[in-house]
Amino acid sequence: MKTNYLLPNKYKTLGWILFITGIVSGLFTVYYGYDYEPIRIKVFSLFNDAIFDNEADGFFKIIETGVASELSSIAIIIGGLIIGFTKEKIEDEFIYKLRKDSLVWAIIFNYVILLFATILIYDLAFFHVLVFNIFTPLIFFIIRFNFLKLKSNSHDE
Amino acid sequence: MTNNLKVERAIHNMTQADLAEKIGVSRQSINAIEKNKYVPSTVLALKIAKLFNKPVESIFFLEGTE
Repeated sequence: MKTNYLLPNKYKTLGWILFITGIVSGLFTVYYGYDYEPIRIKVFSLFNDAIFDNEADGFFKIIETGVASELSSIAIIIGGLIIGFTKEKIEDEFIYKLRKDSLVWAIIFNYVILLFATILIYDLAFFHVLVFNIFTPLIFFIIRFNFLKLKSNSHDE
Repeated sequence: MTNNLKVERAIHNMTQADLAEKIGVSRQSINAIEKNKYVPSTVLALKIAKLFNKPVESIFFLEGTE
């Protein structure tokens, strides 16, 4: 099976390292509240709309901000994409189908959960739902894909 | 769709891993095909038929209402 968007298998380990580091540091950020910012740097902002400081509002501004949660997000997203879209050791049409099925499953599952969260969770708690929902499609996809791979491995002759 | 891949393998005295290696797929793929959990692509079906030197129809069959 020829696929042109998959990375070579050797990147998979790198993906897992980034993904797990990102999740662990991301959970720390959530646990300490989003105000915990050990790293502050000046960044370019495409559009800024601060709650308190209105001076820096507007397009194309250089602002100073904490980037701990941003770094975690980048690690989770890049790591997750690498894990989900690198070739398996033996990449064939069956694994390709498992990958596609997992993607479909993850999208449906994610939005069913989000639907229930919309109905059942309100106010600030829903903010947490939104934060988690940035990553859950990718996370559900990776869990489902690896589960299907394990399952196809275990039912032997 | 169903198949008699397992029988063909037995005739040629091949394991799932042997067959998988010969046609360039994973052993899990062969296992899934034999259990009717995965319908192979036309290319893969033709490759398997070619390896066993038989027409595709004598290895893969349509089922009931298909």
